[in-house]
Amino acid sequence: MPHELILLKNMSQPGYTGSLADYERAGGYQAIRKVLGKMPPGDVTDLVKRSGLRGRGGAGFPTGVKWSFIPKDHPGPRYLCCNADESEPGTFKDRQLMERDPHQMIEGMIIASYAIGVRIAYIYIRGEFVMGAKILERALAEAYKAGYLGENILGTGFAVDIYVHRGAGAYICGEETALLESLEGKRGLPRTKPPFPATNGLFNKPTVVNNVETLANLPYIVNRGVEWFMAIGNPPKSTGTRVFCLSGHIKRPGNYEVPMGITFREMIYDIAGGMRGDKPLKAFIPGGASASFFTSQHLDVKMDFESVAQAGSMLGSGGVTVMEEGTCMVWAAENLLHFFNHESCGKCTPCREGSSWLLQILRRIEHGKGKMEDLGTLARLCPNIAGRTVCAFGDAEIAPILSTLQYFRDEYETHVREQRCPFRRAPAPDLIAVGHG
Amino acid sequence: MADMVNILVDGTPIAVEKGTLVIEAARRLGIMIPHFCYHPKIKPDANCRMCLVEVEKMPKLQTSCSTLVAEGMAVRTNTAVVEEAHKSVLEFILANHPLDCPICDQGGRCDLQDFSHRYTPTKSDFLDVKRVFQKEYFSPLIDKEMNRCVQCLRCVRYCDEVIDAKALAPIGRGSRTEISHFTSHQLDCEFCGGCVQICPVGAFTNRLSDYEFRPWMMKRADTVCGYCGDGCTITLQSREDELIEVISSFEKGRNSGDLCARGYFGYQFVNHPDRLTMPLVRQPDGRFEPTTWEDVLPLLAERFTQVKLAYGSEAVGGLITSRGTNEDLYVFQKFMRLAIGSNHLDSAARFGHVNAVEAMRRVQGTNRWTVSYEDIVNADCLLLIGTQITWTNPIAGLKVKEAVKKHGAKLLTIEAMQPSIETTSNIANLSTTHLTVEVGRHPAAVHGLLKAVFDEGVADNHLAATASGYVDRTRAAVSALPYPEGMDEATLRTIARTFAGSRRGVILIGQDLLQSPGGYEASVNLMDLLLLLGKLSEKGWGLAPLTEENNEQGAIEMGATADYFPGAASLDDAAARTRIASAWKESPPVGAGMRMLDMLEAARSGKLKAMLIVGENPARTLPASAKPAEALGRLEFLVVQELFLTETAKLAHVVLPASSYAEKSGSFTNSEGCVQKVRAGLEPLGGSRPDWEILSAVSVLMGYPLEYGDAAEILKEIRAVIPGYRVLGATPEPARVDRPAMDRYVGGGFAEDMASRYRATSNITQDSSYPWSLWVGQSLFHSGKLSTMAKGLLEIQKEGRLYMNPADLQRMQLAEGEMVTLTSVAGEARVPVGALGRIPRGILFFPESFKEAIAGLLTMTPDAVTGVPYHKQQRVAVHKT
Ligand SMILES: Cc1cc2nc3c(=O)[nH]c(=O)nc-3n(C[C@H](O)[C@H](O)[C@H](O)COP(=O)(O)O)c2cc1C
Ligand code: SF4
Ligand code: SF4
Ligand code: SF4
Ligand code: SF4
Ligand code: FES
Repeated sequence: MPHELILLKNMSQPGYTGSLADYERAGGYQAIRKVLGKMPPGDVTDLVKRSGLRGRGGAGFPTGVKWSFIPKDHPGPRYLCCNADESEPGTFKDRQLMERDPHQMIEGMIIASYAIGVRIAYIYIRGEFVMGAKILERALAEAYKAGYLGENILGTGFAVDIYVHRGAGAYICGEETALLESLEGKRGLPRTKPPFPATNGLFNKPTVVNNVETLANLPYIVNRGVEWFMAIGNPPKSTGTRVFCLSGHIKRPGNYEVPMGITFREMIYDIAGGMRGDKPLKAFIPGGASASFFTSQHLDVKMDFESVAQAGSMLGSGGVTVMEEGTCMVWAAENLLHFFNHESCGKCTPCREGSSWLLQILRRIEHGKGKMEDLGTLARLCPNIAGRTVCAFGDAEIAPILSTLQYFRDEYETHVREQRCPFRRAPAPDLIAVGHG
Repeated sequence: MADMVNILVDGTPIAVEKGTLVIEAARRLGIMIPHFCYHPKIKPDANCRMCLVEVEKMPKLQTSCSTLVAEGMAVRTNTAVVEEAHKSVLEFILANHPLDCPICDQGGRCDLQDFSHRYTPTKSDFLDVKRVFQKEYFSPLIDKEMNRCVQCLRCVRYCDEVIDAKALAPIGRGSRTEISHFTSHQLDCEFCGGCVQICPVGAFTNRLSDYEFRPWMMKRADTVCGYCGDGCTITLQSREDELIEVISSFEKGRNSGDLCARGYFGYQFVNHPDRLTMPLVRQPDGRFEPTTWEDVLPLLAERFTQVKLAYGSEAVGGLITSRGTNEDLYVFQKFMRLAIGSNHLDSAARFGHVNAVEAMRRVQGTNRWTVSYEDIVNADCLLLIGTQITWTNPIAGLKVKEAVKKHGAKLLTIEAMQPSIETTSNIANLSTTHLTVEVGRHPAAVHGLLKAVFDEGVADNHLAATASGYVDRTRAAVSALPYPEGMDEATLRTIARTFAGSRRGVILIGQDLLQSPGGYEASVNLMDLLLLLGKLSEKGWGLAPLTEENNEQGAIEMGATADYFPGAASLDDAAARTRIASAWKESPPVGAGMRMLDMLEAARSGKLKAMLIVGENPARTLPASAKPAEALGRLEFLVVQELFLTETAKLAHVVLPASSYAEKSGSFTNSEGCVQKVRAGLEPLGGSRPDWEILSAVSVLMGYPLEYGDAAEILKEIRAVIPGYRVLGATPEPARVDRPAMDRYVGGGFAEDMASRYRATSNITQDSSYPWSLWVGQSLFHSGKLSTMAKGLLEIQKEGRLYMNPADLQRMQLAEGEMVTLTSVAGEARVPVGALGRIPRGILFFPESFKEAIAGLLTMTPDAVTGVPYHKQQRVAVHKT
């Protein structure tokens, strides 16, 4: 039952280059004509609220509701930031959306800016996306030239400028308040909330931060209406499609746009071609590196916000990483903790100290030097991080450990008992301290 | 009453102001919530997670340091969950902590130690390798041990938010996060020591005292810093009569725990090996011979008496530093007036502060500020004129920074240094409106401001109606002046308009104005400005002259200047004379007193035969061209009380070893007029004695016994004689404008010197033979003569450099440290050059604490009214040879 593509549709057409001309030919920049000067800004927010659109950046917060938190009568500037920092291991959809069809997102940003009364908007793009940044700059130049950006857009009197800002290589700068700090020219460290960006955001002004994919949906909601959008996916809580990023031991890794609500089984086996080498599936991460692991018993969980949450994980950023039988779960957890330890910004104690401690324990277990007490220590430390940190990174870093401990405890015990990794043939290399990693 | 909010903390109700943090509300109930990153001085950052508490109806634990109270909130700080959270955060912190408490200077006063003791079991589950930062050299004064750091960022935030130096930053991520500096080799900053003080653990320590002590072995004494007039409360920590360190508690003092480099790192002159410990008497062959007090005291009494008998009391003069205690100063002037019988006495307040006091006395009838530090902090507009505040009065500077950075006050600066971003803070960088004015031209800028007041039409209408004569004549005088050459009219107008339009404004003036020609008149004119705006007697408004030395205000109020009796009463004030005579049971001498320069002139001409000099060093302080040493050399009898064998002491017949501020008790009066207790932290070094004790002993032998059992007895007498000394304390009620005096001024007093006060100042002098303007001033790291004896301060600044704008340096093709020759009409000097972006082009700056290097260059002009010797600027030529 292949569904109509929305966000990936243009770029799937042969010969589509993502240029302004191509985008316009495909019906682009029609939505802003319907909105600017035609609809009161409040109505646009309302429309987005009613569509049920939820954030695609990770937390899944209802987009229209977020916009409505911007104080109505605030004097002075307010800002929109497009979060294009996409750095979560296993997530690579924003990159494709930006590089292959940049105007779709830019048009979304114009709509959002209009709705919340923004004069200056930023795209905070991951530093490594050099090509993406170039493409965006080119697309913005085209849009300025065509009169879609800058002063008096389409003669409506509405004005907005968009700037591209490249990050400098920290995963944490995808966290919205760290992003704002970084954009202000400071060290990218998350802020303590409250206050939230809606009231005290960029330069302490009301600010909305939205993900690339979230914004890219806006022109279609405007063009085709709330009813159309609401009918896609698993309404009322999970409307629209998601671009899922499939990776791991599967036949056809890549980005797939599907309506929310299909099952992981359909996704992995029907759409992504099934397991590489046809080995049985052992585990998968359903929503990016920050999400708890699922196992083969979760294949029939539906890919929507509620269902995944109910089953104990989260849809997160849409990265699905699949692991086949024979994959060591301790190693998988260690691998992720290596990432989290490397990327913990270090601002708050439980995450800063916890990530390196947890990694060292996992490393020891994986490398045949574990002790049985270590399992207890892991299980004890993780909840001491959860909910006690400045940002959600702390909750993310413990997800792989707690979920693998839950579903694969025996594997951990085997590592400790046998003082080796049962899945590894070569002897373990010497341990390196986490120290100056 | 501010909005109050009712909350429950562990079941106990308390009402606190809206906007209070939960951690503070709990503290008020005596409940201490453990914390590392929170500090009342800086904005909450909530990074350590140590202060977690339960808040009813909130699912997660909340950080009490960043959570504001809300009506009906119920907070729990002692449940099992909360205790568990505290334990757990500590467990995380300790995982990587080296636990080197036995060799850590913080051991015994460390928050981590204390909380660990309270919350954690002795066993740790951490079995892995601790993170190790390689030890690296950080700075000459501050040691850094990053393995102990708990990454609370207090140091970074303090340096940025409070000091505005922004010298520190965290680098690296995660558990590899360490605190570092920006400069390439070593920390280069203001060295205020604040980061060391605010660090909750031993990650930053004072290198001057590294490994020297265990905190609990030290003797402590709360006293007041002896450097500048800001009057910071400090705690001397000593062991076996050696001063080990100086600290300041955050809850205490006018400085609320903040210090500057001089206060924090400048204490080692106290135990300097060159300190004088025995009286010295010059022998016929010119050598000094050490002797005992028993021998020297009768000698002093005898020689003073001889001079008096031979030439009369008028042949003896006295000069005292204003670094002494009020008790020293008071006994000094009483000794001079009664035991000697001479009004010829003066103090270092003559170098500038008398200008401000004379102006205040004249216009508003007070000898003090009518505002306090609190008024500075709460002002919504501050006007700084010639203060160089961060360098001269760093803590008053912090009050200004607090007003601007925390409360959004407007800052107007008419200063000699221009905005520029460097490794130390620069007040001009915070300005709303700034005007760079060469030293010596601040009085002209004040003219410009007054002109702008009329041109902008912001003068007070009420005053124009009630005192039309005053207003009209001032307007006429001011209007006749052009806007000063080289100063932007629009900027002056903006400053005048902004200041006039504010709710509460304070004008701060400092050395650059008060120690330059026109300093007295400009001070009077600034009070004209306040009068014309209708603000002089309004609450929260006023003029705040900053003092360079710690007790200049006290020196004047104790009567230790030629112009005033105790209480800063004129010598011809009959009522004051009667009051003093009845307290002293003897009448002070009649006749005018000679001021400092007059005395030197009299010594040169042979009129003055003997001098008593206490802690002053005119032979060095005054320019060589004034030939002070020659004048002093003519005296038949010169007695010098000193800590060190200074240039002046070397000329003396008798040198007496004096005790430093750390070794004596008494009181200091700071710039704002706050009288604070000085407590001895050490026994007097060797045979040294407090100045008042020496004079008291001599007086007895001279038959005019000024006997006091201790400093407290002197203070008792001071209180009886001097109004304003009845209250000792940290928050003085500032003086009020004296209405009759103000009315006298407005009613005609102003007219006496109208013409000279509003005389057009000379335009910028262009002298092609001496194209540069050299300005000698105080630097951040040194003040006066003692700081150059303090090892710590010498570590940061060991020599005088001639600072110039980097562009000038480049134009002259000079490298930093290269020697140049300076010439002036008076002479020449050779000094190394340095670059400093805040020095405007065409200007040279030289730190006065090293001025012996340029003594030959300077000339001096005395103030016609107040006799202040001006010698801080000079036109010079720079030669690259
Ligand atoms: C550690 C961390 C990393 C994040 N990285 C990203 C990211 O790379 N891109 C993104 O869109 N959102 C990221 N988020 C989520 C953002 O904080 C924020 O919720 C999101 O940008 C909001 O946009 P949305 O409402 O459109 O989803 C991250 C959150 C955390 C805690
Ligand atoms: S949870 Fe981790 S990433 Fe987030 S602020 Fe704390 S240390 Fe930084
Ligand atoms: S100025 Fe220097 S001493 Fe003061 S807080 Fe900053 S780094 Fe520390
Ligand atoms: S050095 Fe001290 S104050 Fe600074 S972050 Fe480390 S522990 Fe905190
Ligand atoms: S020199 Fe002045 S500012 Fe510095 S500590 Fe001493 S009194 Fe305070
Ligand atoms: S004291 Fe509250 S988080 Fe550090």
